[in-house]
Amino acid sequence: MRKIVFIFYFLFLISFVVFSYLFVDPGLFYLRFSFTNFFQLHRVITTCLFSLSIIFFFTFYAYFLHEVNRNTVSISTIFALSIGSAAVLLFAYPAMISFDIFNYIATAKVTFFYHENPYILMPIAFTKDPLLLFMHAPNKIALYAPFWILLTAVPYILGFGNFLLILFNFKLFSAFFYLCTIFLLWKMTKSKFKTTLFALNPLVLIELLVSAHNESIMLFLFLAGSYFLFENQKGKGSVLFVLSIFIKYATAVLVPLFIYATIKQISKERFFLWTTIFMYIIFFASAFREEIYPWYTLWFFLPSIFLFKNSLFTWITTTFTFSMLLRYIPFMFIGTYFGPTPLLKIVLMWIPVLLAALAYFTTQKKKQLI
Amino acid sequence: MKKIDKISYYLRIYFVILSKAKELLLLIAIFFFIATQTSFAASPYVLPYPSAMPGGVSYKLHIVWEKIMQYWYFGDFGQYTYNLKESDKYLVEAKTLFEYNQYLLGFAALQKSNTYFAHVQPFLEKAKQDGKNITENQLALQQAAAKHIEVLQKMENETPSDFTWTPEKNPSSTLHIHQLIQQAIEERQKDL
Repeated sequence: MRKIVFIFYFLFLISFVVFSYLFVDPGLFYLRFSFTNFFQLHRVITTCLFSLSIIFFFTFYAYFLHEVNRNTVSISTIFALSIGSAAVLLFAYPAMISFDIFNYIATAKVTFFYHENPYILMPIAFTKDPLLLFMHAPNKIALYAPFWILLTAVPYILGFGNFLLILFNFKLFSAFFYLCTIFLLWKMTKSKFKTTLFALNPLVLIELLVSAHNESIMLFLFLAGSYFLFENQKGKGSVLFVLSIFIKYATAVLVPLFIYATIKQISKERFFLWTTIFMYIIFFASAFREEIYPWYTLWFFLPSIFLFKNSLFTWITTTFTFSMLLRYIPFMFIGTYFGPTPLLKIVLMWIPVLLAALAYFTTQKKKQLI
Repeated sequence: MKKIDKISYYLRIYFVILSKAKELLLLIAIFFFIATQTSFAASPYVLPYPSAMPGGVSYKLHIVWEKIMQYWYFGDFGQYTYNLKESDKYLVEAKTLFEYNQYLLGFAALQKSNTYFAHVQPFLEKAKQDGKNITENQLALQQAAAKHIEVLQKMENETPSDFTWTPEKNPSSTLHIHQLIQQAIEERQKDL
């Protein structure tokens, strides 16, 4: 039975990869052979398929967690599933629901091809560059921190000027750090359940393996920093933590906590509790800057893994990984970021969380009655 | 007879009013023509506000910052932007200082503006050699040059041709202000 589920899981992942190519941008001439404009022409079908995919993803996720809880699955199987997922989703079209990967490539190109400062020059300054045909933020200077820009030299240079190779190098780069994070998580928690909770979470899979967000590197460096901190190698820990800040700045909010943990003894649980709280704050604060993007959920989801227990906190945090994926639906269906889309995004984000809280209180009450 | 006189009297008044009205209408037309004339600046390029002025501590920090920024603005387009930005800044500084009769400081600022401006075009040429499309930057440089010339010409009208600077303990020196302004205009005319 388990083998059949695994086969179905990979078949589902393959079909999701195929589905992702329905979103190919009309300007992306490098992939014109796969361009169908299906996403634009059949919004209802696309939205239904995407919603169905989320349900399938979470069904498999629940099944894997259930199996791990029953102790019928070994950690090597979890690793195999994670590596397998990374291998399949590597081929998914990365700009299916987010165009950030094009920004990464554009910033790398400004730096390593044009030899210009991406914090001064926008990609639009290079008027004849083919990237301008399909990237969605050519009029923005680099939004990411310097260490990320430095690291992008690896996937960019190894692409040897071939756009598709560069694109999939970026995906491979993110997948590599996703796997590193999982191995480190296992090393730190020695819990199959906690490792699975992160490794096979649909939001993690979609945002890190499909969209290839640089959260994979930021979170890995943060986790590695925390690992060395608790291994009493505070120098190494601090360096890695600082490097994580210089990927995307989000972990900068943890500076006081990290300093405190370096000076004073603090339990791992307390450290990750405060990390989760701080990351929750910065997560909600991001709404003031632009909007809360679904992949920002990973900022607090990873540290919250260390706190896993049957608590309201865990229920809400895990539900966010579901509800944040729903935020993609309004745009997919309506085709605009304006009108009812912003409101629908908020509604879809909060309703599952409220339902989860309600379900938690109901089950707790039942337990008390029993 | 009386009736005829009356008619001619009224006709005369009518013609006088008409001739006055013509003049009045002509005056109104001239007024509207002048008042609604759109005045265009020589260039749409916008120069920055005056920044820190020499004499204070902040100005020294400003100079240090300027040197650091030279490395931050790496790359052909980066250096083009940096040199043009600095040239703009020192031109505005010179203009402000001249307005306050600070000829020595203004003279030095204009010299700096000229030095930076001279570096702009070579970086654009280098960008072109590196295969970058410089059309828009070239246009921006032309507009900047036109704006600089506009400011420099005004400056020339408002400053003395020469100024003798006599420090307390050192021998005096003559600043050939108009000569420097002319040099600055010539330098910018190359990019028009």
